[in-house]
Amino acid sequence: MPLRPKIGRSLSQAQAAYALLLPFLAVYALFLIYPFFRGVWISLHDWNLLEVAFNPAAKEYVGLRNYERVMWGKDIEWSLFAAPLIQLAGLAALAGAAFTGWTGRLSRPTALALGVVAALVVLIAGLHPGEEGRWYDRRFWPTVGNTLVFVGLAVPGVTLSALVLAAALNRESRAMAALRTLFFLSQVLSVTVVTLIWQIMFSPRQGLIANITELFGGTPINWLTDAQFAMAAIVIATIWWSLGIALILFLAGLQDISKDLYEAAALDHCTGVRAFRHITLPNLKRTITLVVILQIILHFQVFGQSHLMTQGGPNDSTQVLVRYIYQTGFRDSDLGRASAMAVFLFVVMGAFSVIQFIVGRGKSQ
Amino acid sequence: MTRGTSWLVIALAIPAFLWLVPTLWMVSLSFQPNDVLARTTSSTALGLVPWPFTAENYAALFAFGQTPWWFLNSLIVATGMTLGVLAVSTTAGYALARLEFPFKKTIATICLIGLMVPEQAVFIPLYTMFADFGWHNSYHALILPRMAVPIGVFLMMQFFRAIPQDIEEAARLDGVGWLQIFWHVMLPLARPAMMTLAILTFLYAWNDYLWPLVSAQQREYFTITLGLASIQSNFAQSEGLGRVMASGVIASLPVVVLFLIFQRYVVQAMTAGGTKG
Repeated sequence: MPLRPKIGRSLSQAQAAYALLLPFLAVYALFLIYPFFRGVWISLHDWNLLEVAFNPAAKEYVGLRNYERVMWGKDIEWSLFAAPLIQLAGLAALAGAAFTGWTGRLSRPTALALGVVAALVVLIAGLHPGEEGRWYDRRFWPTVGNTLVFVGLAVPGVTLSALVLAAALNRESRAMAALRTLFFLSQVLSVTVVTLIWQIMFSPRQGLIANITELFGGTPINWLTDAQFAMAAIVIATIWWSLGIALILFLAGLQDISKDLYEAAALDHCTGVRAFRHITLPNLKRTITLVVILQIILHFQVFGQSHLMTQGGPNDSTQVLVRYIYQTGFRDSDLGRASAMAVFLFVVMGAFSVIQFIVGRGKSQ
Repeated sequence: MTRGTSWLVIALAIPAFLWLVPTLWMVSLSFQPNDVLARTTSSTALGLVPWPFTAENYAALFAFGQTPWWFLNSLIVATGMTLGVLAVSTTAGYALARLEFPFKKTIATICLIGLMVPEQAVFIPLYTMFADFGWHNSYHALILPRMAVPIGVFLMMQFFRAIPQDIEEAARLDGVGWLQIFWHVMLPLARPAMMTLAILTFLYAWNDYLWPLVSAQQREYFTITLGLASIQSNFAQSEGLGRVMASGVIASLPVVVLFLIFQRYVVQAMTAGGTKG
């Protein structure tokens, strides 16, 4: 093959670079960038999946009407007391962000991000239909709310248990390595295996949990069909599934804390739980922030657990955003409205990605 | 080992065992006869010990049913995706890390922005595109979208950046072309990073659910992850609990084996994938 090396040698550095970049840029442009803009474009149309499939002209440009149909309603008003608990929590978070940002306890971008999120919560939760009004889509905001509840339960659940376990497992020994492996194992399973296992774990007739309850003379709970417990059930399955990655990130963070700090503290009789509070936590602050943001991004996209374990029910109590997008698009064939929701999802997740990027960059500096 | 540590190991063994119980239960149920499971799932030690024992469920899976076929589909898709991602990521990663060319910054930034776009934000337009091409229900439909995700490019870029400059310069002085340097000098060095990326991609491909769910509608093109989802909704009536659990075990086997053999790479891969995209 005398020809190929010759061509290769004659290429300039820039030519070689473009040749090497071309395959990736081609698939990237075709299967990520273009679909993204196409998604925005679809969201501006009245676009029925089946009708457009048979007749490409059967779509109609409607501007922002899909967004209106999804997120807005007739006669919508704003007041500070529409959802007082949520709004007060938002105001408290806003004040907290302002205070911590001002005193420098949180870095400025982090405080700003927290403040923006809190302000949005106060604003959005304050919207409600007036006396004659109604939401055009009654299910959208409750679905967003469910997704936030899921995130609000799963993220602290995973973070706290992973943090405690990581602190305990952060020792060099074979037994500890084996234990780490056990905790990480469930992370590599697919969502369908996880939901298969937990659907039957939670089953009131055949489930392991029901069997144990009956052993102690209790009445089994209908975990997946009782609106009180369904969300808890999918959160438990999720914590079991996704603890591993948080655990590993925390262990990596713990490795970076100097042993000298603990030795110095031990001289002052600061060990165990006190050492965890006064040395581990402050030094792990950035890792914790990163893990929390990562989990928020990850769990905001929850789909399989809700789709397979509870089918969004009972009474929509576990309906989450991605499942609603999927159903609107592929069951109701309303691609325009589904795309408008997907753009909403992108905006929310994009905001968190930006925060993640800022925090992550701060770490490497 | 100090006394405190051994107590800690014992104290941690309890939650670790509890963590293992659900998986153990799945494996145990898969080895019990379906007629027993229809009556009770807690025959021996709450069902955690497979007694009465049978391997019938596995035999039935391979004799009829589509599980072996789905398993094969998953292997094809995951292998294809892994090779594809490695090919486009190593080349682009190398160019962005080591070569100088016009618009380098712009191209790098455009790639970075792509990390922010989640699969869920593009799966509808991708669906319509692939429908227009008539590509659904095919292997390439399952493989191509993931090749566009820039995470691999960034992993490889970071790796290539850390390689000392003089290796390249020595080769340049000998008159070796850029593509030859990439192929003969850089790629052999990049094996550990490629291994990490390969495992990250394989795990993702094996476990992916949403895109196969919309793209593969014919059962012949189901991956095992998708196939398992399709049989779990009516597990007890149609196939018997033991057989569905056996499917679950089969579906998990490759990733669990991969994990146990390449634990270090898996942990690295998931950490890298987690923190960057």
